[in-house]
Amino acid sequence: MNLAQLILISLCGAFLTYLLGKASSRIRDTFAVFISLLLIIPLFCLYGKNEEITYYSFLGLPLILKITPLSWLFAIAVQTITSLSVIFSLSYMKGKERLDFYYLMLLLVNTGMLGIVLSADLISFYIFWEIMSWSTFLLISYNRGPALHAGMKYIVMSIIGSASMIIGILSLYVNCGSLDFVQIASFIPRTSSGYTLFILILFCITFGIKNAIAPFHTWLPDAHSEAPSPFSAVLSGVLIKMGTYGFILFMYTIAGLNIIINIGGGSFHYLISILAAITIIFPTFIAVLQDDAKRLLAWSSIAQVGYIILGIAIGTGLGFVGGVFHFFNHAAFKALLFLSVGAVEYRTGTRDLNSLGGLIKKMPITFFCALIGVFGLIGMPLTNGFVSKWLIYKALILGEHPFLAFIALFGTWGTIIYSYKLIHNIFLGQLPEKFSNVRKAPVTMRIPVIFLSLVVVVFGILPGIPLKIIDTISASFGFQPQDIQIWGIASETGVLNMVNIFAAIFAALIFVWLLFLMGRKKINIAQDDSYAAGAYVPKDKYNYTVDFYKPLSGMIKPYLRDFVDDFYLWLADVIRTFSDKTRKIYCGDLGYYISYIVLFLAVLIVLKMGLKIW
Amino acid sequence: MVNPILLIAVPLAFAFSIPLFGLISKRAGRFIPPVAMLFNLVLSIILIPDVLESPVSVFLSGFPPPFGINLYVGPLGILFSAVIALVGFLVSIYALDYIKEGAEEKYHMLYLALLTGATGVVLTGDIFNLFVFFEILCISSYGLVGYLGNKAGVESAVKYLIQGSVGSAFNLIGIALIYGQFGTLNMADIAANINSVSPNQLFIPLVLFIVGFGIEGAIFPLNAWLPDAHSSAPSTISAVLSGIAIETGVYAIARVTFTIFGASDILLFLVLLGLLTLLAGELSAFSQNNIKRMLAYSSIGQMGLILFALGIGTDYGIAGGLFQFINHALSKALIFLATGYMIYRMGSMEISSLEGIGKKMPVSSLCFTVGAFSLIGLPPFAGFPSKFMIVLSALEKHSNLFIVFIGIVFLGTVIEATYFFKVIQVLYFKGAPAGVPAEKKTEISPAQETIKDRGVITGAPIAALIPMIILALLIILIGVYPKAVDEILNASSIELLDRVKYIQGVLR
Repeated sequence: MNLAQLILISLCGAFLTYLLGKASSRIRDTFAVFISLLLIIPLFCLYGKNEEITYYSFLGLPLILKITPLSWLFAIAVQTITSLSVIFSLSYMKGKERLDFYYLMLLLVNTGMLGIVLSADLISFYIFWEIMSWSTFLLISYNRGPALHAGMKYIVMSIIGSASMIIGILSLYVNCGSLDFVQIASFIPRTSSGYTLFILILFCITFGIKNAIAPFHTWLPDAHSEAPSPFSAVLSGVLIKMGTYGFILFMYTIAGLNIIINIGGGSFHYLISILAAITIIFPTFIAVLQDDAKRLLAWSSIAQVGYIILGIAIGTGLGFVGGVFHFFNHAAFKALLFLSVGAVEYRTGTRDLNSLGGLIKKMPITFFCALIGVFGLIGMPLTNGFVSKWLIYKALILGEHPFLAFIALFGTWGTIIYSYKLIHNIFLGQLPEKFSNVRKAPVTMRIPVIFLSLVVVVFGILPGIPLKIIDTISASFGFQPQDIQIWGIASETGVLNMVNIFAAIFAALIFVWLLFLMGRKKINIAQDDSYAAGAYVPKDKYNYTVDFYKPLSGMIKPYLRDFVDDFYLWLADVIRTFSDKTRKIYCGDLGYYISYIVLFLAVLIVLKMGLKIW
Repeated sequence: MVNPILLIAVPLAFAFSIPLFGLISKRAGRFIPPVAMLFNLVLSIILIPDVLESPVSVFLSGFPPPFGINLYVGPLGILFSAVIALVGFLVSIYALDYIKEGAEEKYHMLYLALLTGATGVVLTGDIFNLFVFFEILCISSYGLVGYLGNKAGVESAVKYLIQGSVGSAFNLIGIALIYGQFGTLNMADIAANINSVSPNQLFIPLVLFIVGFGIEGAIFPLNAWLPDAHSSAPSTISAVLSGIAIETGVYAIARVTFTIFGASDILLFLVLLGLLTLLAGELSAFSQNNIKRMLAYSSIGQMGLILFALGIGTDYGIAGGLFQFINHALSKALIFLATGYMIYRMGSMEISSLEGIGKKMPVSSLCFTVGAFSLIGLPPFAGFPSKFMIVLSALEKHSNLFIVFIGIVFLGTVIEATYFFKVIQVLYFKGAPAGVPAEKKTEISPAQETIKDRGVITGAPIAALIPMIILALLIILIGVYPKAVDEILNASSIELLDRVKYIQGVLR
């Protein structure tokens, strides 16, 4: 199967799903799962291939699809996360309205993303990018209510990004005469660095918006929290990473390593790194303040994307590998967390962290998977998040960026704080009375969550599998190849052997377990005993999860106002006011209208006769 | 080869025979416009290959130009006449069911006259003849705007009439000045001798034409009639006014500036005027609550974009502008048709009253969405290649000024996207989810359309759906396969730029 057929099948599959839905919802669900899983197989087989196909000619421009190691990695991530999200949707979305439309859009977004990563020329890149953008808009708006506002925010920023991108694309076309990546890549070194910078900035705006890099992040918290949960997983897991893909594409495939490192006296990639650092630090602590589980995860996504971009932009091989690996890992554990929260929301009807709690006994599997996801998010050893973060830290330290390294580390502390809030307020603590009848998540919700937990753990212990692939990508961009082994990295900069760590931790656990076994003395302590130091606590009225981190929140809150968002909203307001004023031109009074006409004529003649403008 | 005069003669004859058909059966009149327009459409399509090979110039009454009145059927003319016939045909099918009450015969007669006028404008090779056809177009549209006979309709028709008359007067003065200077009314003949007169003497008629045609072409600040007229006319008329009539005005400006005056020094001014129109239109539409007014303002914005593209003045830029013209004719007609029955069913033009209509009128809503996406310029719809061409040609100017202009164009696009997406949200996602009955709207806007039965809201009738679906499919087809119109666009833009060829084509 060639690439064009792949995209075509994906596209037709989406529309076929819609049509089948008109016949029967059961067939539609089955088919949606089938088509999304089916596509993984040919994608998987494409590994290591170097296929290129010109599939269409648009306005005289050839449209090309091509598979590279980088696009393979992204395509696999996209297709896997979408498939899991479709499976999850089966029960999550059951009984909701307009499901045909939902599946159509979900699969259309998937097609768009596949198209983006497989494109080998800018015009098909743009077309798929736009298809993804507007179908995402329709999906974000799906939940009505506040989702409408979120959708508008998203699409306005997205359109601004697209406008910036199309100017960049067409400017490249005018100057270079081709939109093929290869041609542009060979053109860029020949042009002036000022022009290169202009192009890079245009594209950085686009990708920064999609990737939610500060100061373009404001659409994300709303969009992620208001979208249907399975789609939030796609959004956070892979869709915003299309921006990451764009960054990598432009920085390393098109501009090339040398130019990126040297342009503007080395300030460009450093500036991006600084932006990434800002993106880590503020959103992390804003996440701590959130009481809506999905909003918390959304802010967390922004921060984690900061890590990815930091790794990529720093411009060393280690950093690049770490950044790309972190993309992959974040796709896994953030999708996992969004799906877990979705499962909780499905069963309890709420995602408010103040009113949940104690679900560990009711939904043990979801708890366990969410715990693994949280471990990955924090970067605990034995999860893949640890490896990628380790690589990023290492790259920052070796690259002599102590400030950035500190920020990355500091961000992780914040991550621990909010991750604990998430896991505690949902699963630990006291079970509110109203949730005493909660059942465990349905099987179609558990399968994706368990699968993703396995990914997190397996690639945490054997990180060499994905790292090997990423290293070939990084080597193809001109970075120094790393010495990757199946168990980690063996290089002169320091050995990371996850299997050893696993063995050590495993041994320690056995030891502790044995110790407990030998101790064998068990005391039951009521939950409120340790919490209230023995004081009487009225059981039914007390909920440990309310106002979690109150003192901390009170302390950091004043510093964390999202003034960028305020600024955009103010700007929108100004435009609205201005547009109202503009409309006053059409006041309805015929006398004015006629005078406009006569005045216009008079002005033209005066301009010509008096001022000799032209 | 068929004589292109039939493109004008047949619909005109049909138009005035409608009362005769009315004698046979009261309902016969409504079937005349589709027949006439179908004839025009087929004829235009048949003519396209011939015209692309070599433009056809026919003259009346045995006197060859410059003495007799001639029709010049070049690629540009045939492109416009084909689009006019296509939109006119589809809208008239829609009208079969939509126009039910009032002076039905007169509606159909004026409707055909309007389209005949538009076809005449784009085909004629004589400046006075152009004026006459323009008047036919304008006068029938005055009548049609007031067709509903309600207060808003009559008021805006009168406003339109007064402003239009001012424009006509300017045009006429311009023509008189031209005739005084050159002693001829043949466009090719004037064009051939244009350099024999000092530029200053030429300037006054040029400005008079720009203002005169600019009123119909919805150029800022001459377009004040438009929001009123488009919003109070029946939706079918809004569709042709927006999709055809105002574009004819822009055509006339392009024809005058490019072919007759060959004015290359005024192009930058056109670009600025286009940008101003674009911004004024989009900004006014931005916070508009009345859907038809919003669409009307959006049309102003689109005209600005077309003018901007024409002002770029390169063959690719003009081709892009003409592409945008096709896109706008199809998309805006589609959107107006789609909203027609929505407004009819909901009894209000307030955007908020259309809440949740996506469920009740799925096809209409889908068509609205397609049209809106296309106007914004999203792939894979027709608006994408047209915007692509316009932006590309502006960047090909290699000037920083044009990069700023492009920035302004995209500012307009962002605003346009915002209000269209907002409406799409209202159509599909606003209001209570299915199952919960929405509150009944009791308020009715004064500018309402005829309301008959608001009890049960059903989809549009089949006669309305077919044209909408055809338009939507065409938009997607052109968007995916822009090559379909590529050749004729290029030939048309060359026709506008290559004056010598035009002159030779007429004055053989």
